[in-house]
Amino acid sequence: MLVTIRRLQVKYGNQVALQIEEPVAFEKGERIGVIGSNGAGKSTLVKALLGLVHYEGNVVTQLKPEQMAVHMQFNEYVTSMPVRYIMETILGTKIKGNKELQELISFFDFEPCLSKRFHALSGGQKQKFTIIMVMFQKAELTFFDEVTSGLDFETRQKLMEKLARWYQDKGDTLVIVSHYYEELEQLADKILILEKGKVAAFGKKEQLFKDYCGSVVFIMENTEKNRKLSEGFPIIKSPEHLLALSCESRAQEREVMSVLAENNVNFKRSNSDIEIMFMNAREQFYRRQEGNRV
Amino acid sequence: MKKCSLRMVLYELRNINGNFMPHFFGIVFPNLMCVLLSKTVGRQVPEGMREEVVTSIMLTMTLVIPMAIMLIGYGALYAQEVERGIPLRMRLFGLGEKCEVTAKIAAHLVFLTIAFVIFAVFQGLVMEVQRPALPSLLCLIVSLYLIGVIFLITAHAIANILQKFSLTFGVTMFLYFGMMILTGMMGMRTDQLPEAFQKVAATLPMTYVSNDFIDFWQGGTYNFMPFIQSFIFMGAASGILLLLSMYKNRRIS
Repeated sequence: MLVTIRRLQVKYGNQVALQIEEPVAFEKGERIGVIGSNGAGKSTLVKALLGLVHYEGNVVTQLKPEQMAVHMQFNEYVTSMPVRYIMETILGTKIKGNKELQELISFFDFEPCLSKRFHALSGGQKQKFTIIMVMFQKAELTFFDEVTSGLDFETRQKLMEKLARWYQDKGDTLVIVSHYYEELEQLADKILILEKGKVAAFGKKEQLFKDYCGSVVFIMENTEKNRKLSEGFPIIKSPEHLLALSCESRAQEREVMSVLAENNVNFKRSNSDIEIMFMNAREQFYRRQEGNRV
Repeated sequence: MKKCSLRMVLYELRNINGNFMPHFFGIVFPNLMCVLLSKTVGRQVPEGMREEVVTSIMLTMTLVIPMAIMLIGYGALYAQEVERGIPLRMRLFGLGEKCEVTAKIAAHLVFLTIAFVIFAVFQGLVMEVQRPALPSLLCLIVSLYLIGVIFLITAHAIANILQKFSLTFGVTMFLYFGMMILTGMMGMRTDQLPEAFQKVAATLPMTYVSNDFIDFWQGGTYNFMPFIQSFIFMGAASGILLLLSMYKNRRIS
């Protein structure tokens, strides 16, 4: 195990920001996506693992905080010099003489930005700047905390594509905190769902989907016609404008598909939709909480 | 954690160079103040005493350089960095506080040297001052560097504890002017102050440079014990502040 979290509690004043009861373990080479609503404790978890906040409980790991690399939500640098010098100082190497670094810079098309000062970079370029340095560290455990927040759709997509491509055949352990489900679909193989500072669910992406959504879901528009057609099929939690039908077996899947096709309904079939999985895991979490209270 | 390197020192030098405060407060201000005060006060004293009075003013003004560069300039620069989370970001890249402080001290000492050289050349060209005895000059130089290092550590600790630029700037400005008044740099001699203030002034090395150095500038004897004790006191106070700030911002592992 690379990191095992046991009975972790982080408090801000009197408020409990994070409370992990059951052990959560990150293994070497895993890609863990951390997802949750605002204030769920995602960034607090990262800060606790990095030793930046006081906590009670145990974080069992052989790694020292400095052996972990992190792309924080907000990364600031001095604006008194071109970013090239900042990069060379932090990484302790000359760009000119380091092929590996040059490759990373060119992979992210960052060469034209090297002579600019940090405040003159665009949002996406600022993120790339930190990403390059974080990647170059080649730490045993790397955190990406909302790398794409504040970026426009196109920049976000391009950046995530680059990240996914870079890590495709590499064995690095990554913890990716994100609000964007598609990013986690691209990068994560395990999902940790946090809600109100607690673990709502943790496990392999496929397993969690099965546990909370069934084998397959059919997603369509939430119209009156579709609601009528869905009667008799198990409807699971989905965004308000959508309708999601859960199927447990092949036979059920065929049945739903034929009804939808016969009625000329546009639909999407998925066995990995993280958004639907997240919503249903969260709903069950609240049901469990209510059950515990009763 | 990474070790301090020449690259880190160069980075810090670039950082100082990109900030106007050390240039203004550490180079422009003391030079102008020295010329202005010397010309004004120099006119009011008899011809025979003028050189000694001007030299005394120059000695006092040399103190402004480390105080302005290290306490005000560095304090402002570093507090801005702290407020924006830059030192934490550096820490997360494995650049520890010891390495950071060492590089910052080295870079600021280089900048301080440049400021001293400019001051000496400019004042030497513009003013007529007494030529010092070599031991006295060396004593002044060592004192100024020590004062500079102590103030940098103090400013660093204050910024780390307060975490806000406005608060740090307020506190360092208060200390700067407070110490200038106490140590006789604002025109009032220390022995003219109330007794309680005189006791506080006795714990500050600047008091001795400002009031006593003129007495042995061209040679002679001087009891250095109170002066050394004041260095020990200020050095210990800044060291304790630094340890407190490091404890406050420590990482848990």
